[in-house]
Amino acid sequence: MVKLRFKKRRKKSLKDIYEERLFEILRQFKLPLLMLHTVMSVGTVGYMILSGGDFINSLYMTIVTVGTIGYGEVVRGSDTPIGRIFTTFLALGGIGVFTTAITILIRVFFAEDFLGVFKAWKMLSDIEKLRNHYILCGFNRTTLELIRLLKKRKIDYVVIESKKEVERQLKESGVEYYILEEPYKRLVLEAAGIRKAKGLVVNLGDDAKNIAVIVTARLLRPDKDNFFIFSFASNPETAQKLEELGANKTIVPQRLLATRLAAYIFHTSSAYISDLFDKIAFGEEPEIDILELQVSEDSPLVGKKLKNLDLRKQLGVTVIAIRKPNGSLNVTITGDTEVEAGDTLILFGHPKRLKIAQRILTEKVQELVGGKENET
Amino acid sequence: MRLRKILTHFFIMMALTTNISFIHSPNGWELVITIIANLFATILKMGEGRILSNELMASSLVADLHLIPAGFVFYLGNHEEAVGLAVGALAANIISIILGIIETILVTFMEEEE
Repeated sequence: MVKLRFKKRRKKSLKDIYEERLFEILRQFKLPLLMLHTVMSVGTVGYMILSGGDFINSLYMTIVTVGTIGYGEVVRGSDTPIGRIFTTFLALGGIGVFTTAITILIRVFFAEDFLGVFKAWKMLSDIEKLRNHYILCGFNRTTLELIRLLKKRKIDYVVIESKKEVERQLKESGVEYYILEEPYKRLVLEAAGIRKAKGLVVNLGDDAKNIAVIVTARLLRPDKDNFFIFSFASNPETAQKLEELGANKTIVPQRLLATRLAAYIFHTSSAYISDLFDKIAFGEEPEIDILELQVSEDSPLVGKKLKNLDLRKQLGVTVIAIRKPNGSLNVTITGDTEVEAGDTLILFGHPKRLKIAQRILTEKVQELVGGKENET
Repeated sequence: MRLRKILTHFFIMMALTTNISFIHSPNGWELVITIIANLFATILKMGEGRILSNELMASSLVADLHLIPAGFVFYLGNHEEAVGLAVGALAANIISIILGIIETILVTFMEEEE
């Protein structure tokens, strides 16, 4: 005998749960619809028997009777004693069934938030298509500012917030993708596309909640170099713990603000430059950006002089400093400065040029170096 | 629930058989019974989240969308067009039956596995 083997069912996703909720609501439509259909069928067939098969008028007569419209006896045979007895019973039973069924249908539709569940399900389907996006856990003013900057750079994002009451604010703020669930749940993070996302920002206003999200996210995406977690912390001690638990960078808001203020105080005579660096760092200067490019040991750039690379002319970007492997910053670079293994080149230029430079310097650097050396 | 399954399959079969009868010798009564039976089957399948239930529901809805206009067209005098629409509904009804059989077999095997 042939024995069929069924594969183990895949784990339920958040989308599956929403889909089930939709089916549950649909199931609640079943009883009122059955009641309505039974009354309509009995009425129509009854009048058809009385009239000798007049379907359209029988259907019409049934609707005007159970719908309490009562335009009169439009079907042949309905004005006879038998017809009137039938109409009496149809009206007695039918009107009650009709109003009850309609009331249940409307109540289920609105009380169970059919449209809301459907929209959430649709949104989860759209989120599945996102790639290299950021997941923002928690929605507040800081998130709003971050969203503004991400939009400027055309970076996709998904907001996860547990408070359902912020939905209106999310819509008003033009947030395209959001999930109103607890962000520390594995299902929710997976629904937000954590496996295809570039990073996660954890800003829940509570260290314990932040820890829960970071740990769950790091379990799903253990590679710190490919998935970045940025978190808020209430104090420097917690910040250190969060970084040990898996966050790439933790921000203590008070400390960050104090640092920024101190920067203004220390550079009162060069406020423009301070502002410019802030704007570049915060993505508010769309024409300029900074890029860090690490030189690996096997990179063909190793041992080359900057004047030989001539990045300004060839790629439209400028090397403004080199960070050495020991952490020191060399800002007095010249054309004769030699690139060493482990160096990090700090490049300055238009975001588009920087992207091209990054690609060429990491993938096609041999052509660039070879070409230039042949010239010299 | 077994009773619901019996009812659903009864209405699908009823719709199929009366539809064949209508196509063979067009008669208004048969068409009305087909419409009523098919609508019952559609409502009974509503919200069933089991294997192939969505496909069953879709095929049943297709049959409804053929049969309801067929009813009006038939009583407005165009018998040929009504039969044409009923043939379309018949295809959907046959698919419904096939899907129903496949679903029953699958569910039986899955229950045995568990």
